[in-house]
Amino acid sequence: MDRALRRRLEARFGERLTGPVRQRHDETEIRIAPGDVPEILLALHDEPELRFRMLSDLAGVDTGSAMQVVYHLWSDTSGDWLRVIADGLSRDDPRAPSVTFLWKGAEWMEREAYDMFGITFEGNRDLRRIYMPPEYTSFPLRKDFFLPDDASRSPGGGVRPMEQTHGPTNAEAEAHIRQAPAS
Amino acid sequence: MALKPGAESGNLPAVITDSRELVEPIVVPNTLWQSSNPVAYNGGQESDITHLREFEASGEGRRDNARWAGPLEIIPTKADIVLDLIRANSLWPLLSGLACCAIEMMSAATSKNDMDRWGMFPFRASPRQADVLIVAGTCTTKMAGPLVRLWEQMPEPKWCVAMGDCTCSGGRYKRSYSTIQGIDRIMPVDVYVPGCPPRPEGLIYGMMKLQQLIKDRRGHWPERPIGPTVPEDL
Amino acid sequence: MTTRTPYDIAAHASSDDPRITLEEQLGTFEPIPPYPPRTEREAEFYTLRDGEMFVNMGPQHPSTHGVLRVVLKIDGEKVVDLDPVLGYLHRGVEKLCENADYHQAICYTDPLEYISSLFCEWSPVMAFEKLLDVQVPRRAEYIRVLAGELNRIASHALFMGWFALDLGGLTPILWSFIERDEIVEMLAALTGQRMLFNYFRIGGVNGDLNHEFMSRLGTWMSKATSQINSNQALLNENEIFVRRARGLGVIDTATALNMCMTGPNLRATGVPFDVRRAHPYSIYPELDFDIPTRVEGDCLARYLLRMDEIKQSLRIIDQCLNEMPDGPIMAKLPRLIRPRPGRAYAAIEGPRGQYATYAISDGTDQPYRMRIHDPSFVHLQTVGLLMPGNLIADTMAIMASLDPVMGGVDK
Repeated sequence: MDRALRRRLEARFGERLTGPVRQRHDETEIRIAPGDVPEILLALHDEPELRFRMLSDLAGVDTGSAMQVVYHLWSDTSGDWLRVIADGLSRDDPRAPSVTFLWKGAEWMEREAYDMFGITFEGNRDLRRIYMPPEYTSFPLRKDFFLPDDASRSPGGGVRPMEQTHGPTNAEAEAHIRQAPAS
Repeated sequence: MALKPGAESGNLPAVITDSRELVEPIVVPNTLWQSSNPVAYNGGQESDITHLREFEASGEGRRDNARWAGPLEIIPTKADIVLDLIRANSLWPLLSGLACCAIEMMSAATSKNDMDRWGMFPFRASPRQADVLIVAGTCTTKMAGPLVRLWEQMPEPKWCVAMGDCTCSGGRYKRSYSTIQGIDRIMPVDVYVPGCPPRPEGLIYGMMKLQQLIKDRRGHWPERPIGPTVPEDL
Repeated sequence: MTTRTPYDIAAHASSDDPRITLEEQLGTFEPIPPYPPRTEREAEFYTLRDGEMFVNMGPQHPSTHGVLRVVLKIDGEKVVDLDPVLGYLHRGVEKLCENADYHQAICYTDPLEYISSLFCEWSPVMAFEKLLDVQVPRRAEYIRVLAGELNRIASHALFMGWFALDLGGLTPILWSFIERDEIVEMLAALTGQRMLFNYFRIGGVNGDLNHEFMSRLGTWMSKATSQINSNQALLNENEIFVRRARGLGVIDTATALNMCMTGPNLRATGVPFDVRRAHPYSIYPELDFDIPTRVEGDCLARYLLRMDEIKQSLRIIDQCLNEMPDGPIMAKLPRLIRPRPGRAYAAIEGPRGQYATYAISDGTDQPYRMRIHDPSFVHLQTVGLLMPGNLIADTMAIMASLDPVMGGVDK
C-alpha cells in the first residue's frame, strides 16, 4: 500500500476522481468518468512523478446497471498496481475513448472488450470482432447473455447452484446480478 | 525412509508418505445413487426427451458422403485383406492439433512414446496426403468450418480419431457458447480417445484400436452416420 | 447482414440439438471477407496495390502454435502486411468461470496456456487469496515455486524445439520433447496429471511432495545441466540457425513498451522488467536469482534469453529444495468459499510474460467477473509490426520467437 501514491493522485486529479482513492493489499484504485480517460491516462503516462508507462490490462466489466472499462497500470515510481476504473458507461450503447494513441498494444484489448461487451472505443482504428465470428450478433460476457444449460432446462431444475438459471424467472438470482458489486 | 534426491539433500521434510505401505481400502456398498431432492432428474421417471432416438430412426441424420464403393465391398477378398494390412500399418495422420491435446499428440509422436513404430510418424501438413484425422483439442464453432473442410478434402479411405474429452463430448466446455459439443456432431468418428488430455500411451492405444478396426473392415461402412449413435437396447 | 446464421441462435437455443445441420451452423468459409471493410484498418489491409496478392495461412498449418489464421499480403516473396485472425480456439472461459464456484473456476483456467499450466492456475489462485485475505503456508509457497519453475523449464525447452522447427530443424524438437517428458512425468508424480495439472488450490496446493517425485527430481537434476547444455550446443553454434535468427524481427524498447509487451520479449529489448523482482509475490523476495536481459531485441536474443532463464530456474529449484520448510500445505478455509465483495488483481511472471487475473467478487460463491490477461494475446499484435519487409518463411520464425500459445490468446 503506497500512501504517497494516494496523496499524489489526490493532489493531481482531485476533483476529477468520481470516488475515493481506495487501497487494498498492493493495489490502488481510482474512479473516473469515461470522458476524462484520455487526459488522465496521458497525465499518468507522461508526468515525471507518476510515469505509469506500462499498461498491464484493459478489461470491460458489466455491473448490472452500467458498464465499466478497467485499466491496470504499472510504474517504476510506486510499488502498487494502479487500477483506473472508467465507470458509468450505459448498458445500451456503451462508448469509451480509446487509449491506442498512448499504447498501440491496447488495440486488441479494446477489440476484445468490444467483442465481449459491445463497448465501442472511439479512436480505435480496428474495432471489429476478434474472438467470435464476424457475423455474430450477441455480446457473450454481458450479464443478460445466458449460457445454454442442459441441466437448468430439465424438469428437475438441477439441485446445485451451477445447474440453476440465473435468468429472469429466478427473481432472487436476478436481484443478485442487478446489484452492483458493493464498495 | 531412504530418500535420495540426488543433489544436496539438505533438510528434507519428514512428512513424506511412503507409498509402499498398504492401506485398508474403503469399501463402498454397491447401491444405486439417488438424489436428495425428490423432484430432481424428472422425479425418477423416464425422460420424455426422446427426439434423439427418433431422429436416428427416421434416417434424417446427416450421412457422410464418402461412399466407398458399391455393395460388393461387403464381401472381402484376399486383396482386400492385404490392402487393409497395408492401410493399417501406415496410417499417416494429418497435423490437426488444435489445443492442449496436440501437445500430447506430439509427445506421442516423439522419442519416448514413438508412434513411428506403427508407421504413423509422418504428420502430413496437407489433407490430400493424410489418412487419419486425429482431432486433438477443442473444436469451436469458428473452427468447425475449416475442420470439416479438412475432413472433406481428405481422400478416401480416411478415418477420424477424436482425441480428448473436448472432441468426444464437449468435455469441460460442455456449457460453453462457442464450442462444438463433440466433433461427432459434424463428422463421423471412428475411435474416441477420452482423457484431458489422454496420455500418449492412451492415444497409441486408440490408434491400435483403429488399426484393429481397419483390419476387421469395420471402418468400411458404406454409409457412415454423423451424430451419436444410440444402441437399440438402451 | 441479412442472412441469419446460427451463430445468433447458438447462444440461446440448445447446442444439443443435432437437427441444426452443418451448412446452417457453420456458414461459408471466406478467406477474404465478402462484406465491405468496416474499420479503417480493414480497409487499409484489404485493398491491393499493383503486384500484391493475399495468401491465407489458414487455421491449420504445419507450424505448431495452434489454430491461428494469418492473412498475408505479399508482393512476390516479401510480406507487405498481415492480419491475424483469432478466435479459432475461443472457448468462453471467462463466461464459464462466472457461472462456476471459485474452485471450479480454477479448473477452467488450466487449459489457457496449456504448456505452462501451473502459471495459469497460480494467477487466479493468488487473486482469490487476495479477495479472501488468506495467508498461504510457507511450505505450500515453496512447493508452488518449485513446481512453477519446473514448468517454466519445460515450457522454455518446448520453445526451443518449436523455434527450431519453424526454422526448419527437425531434430531439436525431438530432443526438447525428451526433456519435457522427463519433467512432465515428474510433475505427474506430484500432481497426478502430465499436462493440465489442476494442482494449485486456494490457500495452498493439493498434495505434498512424495517419494516418487523426489526420486525423479533427483535423477533429473543430476543430469539436468549437461542435458540442457547439449541441447543448446545443438543450436547456439549452428550457423544456419544463427544467421537466420540474428537481426530478424528487431523490437526496440520504446516499441515494446508501446505494445504492452512483458516477459522475455520485453527483456530481450533491454528492459529488465520481471514481475518476480519488480512486484514480488510468493517467496521470490527470499530467493537469489538473476534476471537475464539482452539488448539486441531480435529473434536470436529472445531465444538466448529463454535459455538463460532455464539456468536461473535451475538455481531457484536448487534453493527451494535446500530451504523447504515443514508445515501444512493448505491453509484452513471453509468449504464454501464466499469472499466479501471486492476486487483483486494478481500478476505473476509466466514463461511468456506477465499473466494476470482481475477478479471481482459480489459476495456470492461464484466470481462475478474473472478477467484473464494473457501475455500471448498482447504479443501477437506485434507480429503485424515486425513482419513487413520480411520473407514468408520468416513469418513463422518471428511468430515462434514471440512464443504465443493460442489457448491463451483465444481464451
